[in-house]
Order: sequence, then structure tokens, then C-alpha cells
Amino acid sequence: MVTPVLDIEALLARVARGDEKAFARLYDVVAPRVFGLVRRVLRDVSQAEEVAQEVLVEVWRRAPQFDPGRGTPTAWIFTIAHRRAVDRARSERAAADRTVRAGIAAVDTPYDAVADEVAVRLERRQVRHCLDELTGLQRQAVTLAYFQGHTYPQVAELLGAPLPTIKSRMRDGLARLRDCLTTGATA
Amino acid sequence: MHALVGAYVLDAVDDLERAAFERHLRECAACRAEVDEFREAAARLADTTWSVPPPALRANVLDAITTTRQDPAVPVRAVTPKRRFHLVAAAAAVVAAAGVGAAVYAIQDQRVRQERAVAEAARASEARVRAILAAPDLQVREQTLTSGGRVTVASSKLTDAGVIMLAATSAPGEGRVYQLWTIRDDDPASAGALGEGQAATVRIVQGLPASSAVGVTIENAPGATTPTTPLDALVQL
Repeated sequence: MVTPVLDIEALLARVARGDEKAFARLYDVVAPRVFGLVRRVLRDVSQAEEVAQEVLVEVWRRAPQFDPGRGTPTAWIFTIAHRRAVDRARSERAAADRTVRAGIAAVDTPYDAVADEVAVRLERRQVRHCLDELTGLQRQAVTLAYFQGHTYPQVAELLGAPLPTIKSRMRDGLARLRDCLTTGATA
Repeated sequence: MHALVGAYVLDAVDDLERAAFERHLRECAACRAEVDEFREAAARLADTTWSVPPPALRANVLDAITTTRQDPAVPVRAVTPKRRFHLVAAAAAVVAAAGVGAAVYAIQDQRVRQERAVAEAARASEARVRAILAAPDLQVREQTLTSGGRVTVASSKLTDAGVIMLAATSAPGEGRVYQLWTIRDDDPASAGALGEGQAATVRIVQGLPASSAVGVTIENAPGATTPTTPLDALVQL
């Protein structure tokens, strides 16, 4: 982790008690990642800005409900961010049915860097290393869903694979990623 | 249902599947643990996507929170009657099951097509189903099927529509299908037959409150114009 987990957890606990100053600090720590993820999924800066604002306000609103027993604050925040980004991407796509073409065009570069991103090199290297540990189908299934907001039937169609296979690859892909990221924490 | 855990964590499911899976999660502690672990792994993917946000975002967010009330620590149950919440979840579960259940009997290619059709139909009708189930005058009736399973009928005069949810234990034998009927003045009209191998469905029926009952029969595929077999279930409205 780039930022010590405990810091975020302590900040979030203060935010949960309505501390606006703590929220401003939390914003500085997590906003670039929230914005980066939302932008990655939506591929549109002005929409990403709108959705990122919704996400961060939701973090404030729901902070009292964060349960440290269920996981880290970052995972909790990214879960909120990813869900909102995907919801927006889907409603946009439904309006302009551009799913398949955009998806196919992007299959080749599932986790490429965005030019003006602030590089978080160590973290990225490890995640990349672990993504490389996955089979091709696992990696594509996971990244097409996560970074591009495709549903598993869409992923199945994009990859020309049966639905049950895609469901399984998403599950065992995440399991392998989890194992690699936990054991490789010191790599 | 649990096979969806990866897709669920990646938000690669539609709203109905999500609702059905979350219902499953409430009953399965091991599944919740798996979801939590997968979420940590997925969050690490997000960690690779830093991007400097526009400066205005900070001011906007910090401004917005001064007028945003925080939720209480323990989630308060929605004021909607419990029954209705269960119904929406049940409808979601049925639609999800229809995609999976139908698959068992069909060959691979056919299965993919069928699941896709179910998913599309679910997306299209989901909002409408929710609207009907949210009607203030909703009447809900339920009957067991003689062949095993359940049929639930929710009907609302205000929306002049109803929803029939069929969840049979298993699909009828080869060449046979479930068929739904609306009965008005003792006169049955088909409300649609299910596909072969299909055991569950959610159907919206326009004008349902004008009917006096809903019936279920098992007919020869692809369905009949009038019921030819004894009723498998009869729901009086």
C-alpha cells in the first residue's frame, strides 16, 4: 500500500464522527485513486469528475457504517467507487450501444497506463506481476470487467467463451490474484 | 448461485443478479468472507490507477459534505414493508435462476443464447417489475404447484398490471412446458408459455387486475391455445 492503512482507518474513524477536517485529509489521500479508477472505467474526464464527487460524498455519508471487521478502508472506498463508475458506464452504454467495439479495441491493452497518471511504481509493479501470473483468460475476464465495466455475459461474448467458463475464470482469477498479492507483499 | 462470486465482486452482474446474490450472501458467512477477500484483491487493481483530479473537485466535495447528513452507524431498515422487499428479491432470484436452471437441459450453444435472452429480458423488464411491486395497493397471492414449487401473483389496480412469478422445483419432462393463464369470467387466456427446460420466470401482465384468477398448466411445447391438462396451480385474485 502506498499510504499506511492505519492512517486511513484512523481518518475514517474520525470522519465517521462527523469530523470535516479529517475528511479533507482523507480526501487528499484517496481522491487521486478514486478519480483514477472512475476515470479508467468511464474514459471521460468530465463524467469521471461528476462520479468521483458522488463517490466521495457517499464515503462521507456512509463513513459511520464502515466495518473494519469486513476489510480495509481502501477496499471499502473502492467498492463504492467501482460500483458507481460501472453503473454510470452501463447507463451511458445503454444510451449509445458502443459496448462491443470499444471492448474489443481495448482487449489488447487491458491495464495500460494513462498518460498523465501519477505513477505508483512499486504497487503497480507488484499488481502487474500478479496479473501476469494469471492465465490469459483469467486476466482478460478480470480486467475487462473491472477496468471496463463489462458484465460477465458481455465478457463472454467479447472473448467468445461460454458463460460458466467466464464466471469461473473471474472467480479463480481473483483467488489467484489474492494469493499472489498476499504472499508477494514483500516482493 | 455461488459461482457468481467473482462476477459479483467485479460488479459484472446486472441489478437483479446483484440482488439475488446479496440475498444469498445474507445466509452464507463463508461466502461473505470470500467476497471480502476478493474485494481486497480488486482494490489493489484500483491502486494502480492514480490520476490527479481536477482542482475544482476538492472544493466541490468539501462544500457538498457540509450539507450532507451522515447515515447512522447501524443501517436503518427501509420503511417499505418487509414483504415487498422480499418480493423484489424473490423476483430477482427467479430471473437469475431462470438463466441458470434452463441451462442444465440445453446444449452449450443453446444455453448461451438462452441465458443471454434472459439477461436482456431481465434488464428491460426490471424497472417495470419494480414499479408494479412498489404500487401502494399491491395484492400478493401465492400457491404451491402440484408438480413442486411455487407461483406468486402480485397485482395492482392502480398500475392496472400484475407480475406472475413462477419458481418450479424443476422443468417438466422433454417436450413439455409450463404455461401461465389469466382467467376472466371462467375464460382462460394464455399469459405465455415457458421454454423447454425452463422452470422459472417473471412475467408482467398488463390488465391483470381485471382477471379473477391465474392458472398454471403443463402443456406440450411450445404451449397450447386453451388449457388441455388439469391445473397445476390456481391462484384466486
